[in-house]
Amino acid sequence: MPYVIAAPCIDIMDKSCMEECPVDCIYEGERKLYINPKECIDCGACEPVCPVEAISQDRRVDEEHTDHVEDNRRFFVEVLPGRDAPLGAPGGAHKTGAIGVDTPLVTGA
Amino acid sequence: MSAVDVDLLIVGAGPVGLYGAFYAGVRGLSVAVVDSLSQVGGQVSALYPEKQILDVAGFPSVTGRTLIGNLVEQAAAYDPLYLLGQEAQRLERTVVDDGPDLLVVTTSSGTEVTCRAVVVTGGIGTFTPRALPAGEQLLGRGLEYFVPSAQAYVGTDVVIVGGGDSAVDWALMLQPVAASVTLVHRREAFRAHHGSLQALRATDVRIITGAQVSETVGDEALEAVVVTVKGEPPQTLPCQRLVAALGFTANLGPLREWGLELHDNRHLVVDSAMRTNVTGVFAAGDVNDYDGKVRLIAVGFGEVATAVNNAAVHLDPAAQLFPGHSTDLGALVPA
Repeated sequence: MPYVIAAPCIDIMDKSCMEECPVDCIYEGERKLYINPKECIDCGACEPVCPVEAISQDRRVDEEHTDHVEDNRRFFVEVLPGRDAPLGAPGGAHKTGAIGVDTPLVTGA
Repeated sequence: MSAVDVDLLIVGAGPVGLYGAFYAGVRGLSVAVVDSLSQVGGQVSALYPEKQILDVAGFPSVTGRTLIGNLVEQAAAYDPLYLLGQEAQRLERTVVDDGPDLLVVTTSSGTEVTCRAVVVTGGIGTFTPRALPAGEQLLGRGLEYFVPSAQAYVGTDVVIVGGGDSAVDWALMLQPVAASVTLVHRREAFRAHHGSLQALRATDVRIITGAQVSETVGDEALEAVVVTVKGEPPQTLPCQRLVAALGFTANLGPLREWGLELHDNRHLVVDSAMRTNVTGVFAAGDVNDYDGKVRLIAVGFGEVATAVNNAAVHLDPAAQLFPGHSTDLGALVPA
């Protein structure tokens, strides 16, 4: 039931959403931000502040971006390049800092 | 340091905690409710007081504010003790041979709450106001994160920072009594309820968008703030009261040290009686987890009724689990 960030964020990364998120569940890749679906509380505070309208609820994502619903999850459950383990639910982006890598979907975009 | 002695302590004054306070009263238990915020209502009050909630049983549509007001009124019949603006921190246990163990919860204000059962309705955890970097050193000497009453603002020049419901509500509340009110928001668009924003625009409150408070002036007390609009020279405004309503961050906080079994590093695992793995500690609402969990206010209300009734049996094993029907209780509200 989380919010997801889709392709319009790629290479923009305004990060206003990170300032709004009350649970600090938006993590920074190299070219895009990702919402942790296990940590998101579905409050919607991030959606209106995104200058490129990249954020929506997972059940209302534009058809052309539906692959990003799964891709936001993948960022946390799959092992990203250069890491030994999945990120999982670290409990806040301020704890991890910028992750600095992206999912294959975003890297190939 | 103060001391409180109750049968049941509820940790978290959100909708589920407030309903738990009511149910504790139904069971004849004395109850205290602790919350780190200085207002009741948890997420509902802090994040979406004006949102229409459409999925609470019996209410086709109710604003967050009204729902919380009603819950407070419902619980008031039993006079719960509210310990607001303090965080439940340490949990200590004294083993009692012929009854439930005594649990002592110490809050961030040093209040020692002695009880025999705890129901954690902590939602997403302790809310911490997001700091205003430019003013942190003047906290309590001009800078505030909450406006519980308008009294301290009479005749002052007020600057409020933020674009959500709290910022706009406080501007509306202070405008009639303050010498001046200025609302400073970083973006052009406001997240606040459209109706409140319209009401605000009809007043003499000055609204500056695309702007930040970049500096605060004053040593002992706040005297002025510097407001910077992108691409314009900074302007200094006289200001004795600065209110930062920049939202909150939430974290499970000190509950992590209570020895509770966690799931996904943020939820408390409970059984079908809402018991955690720590004897005498129950959990209900968004904070708990079990197979099939659905995180909705409606579900939390049911869970906390289950938790409080099971806590009543934990306190007195001879007591019945079923509380009786409210219709059998006679007048719940003393005449």
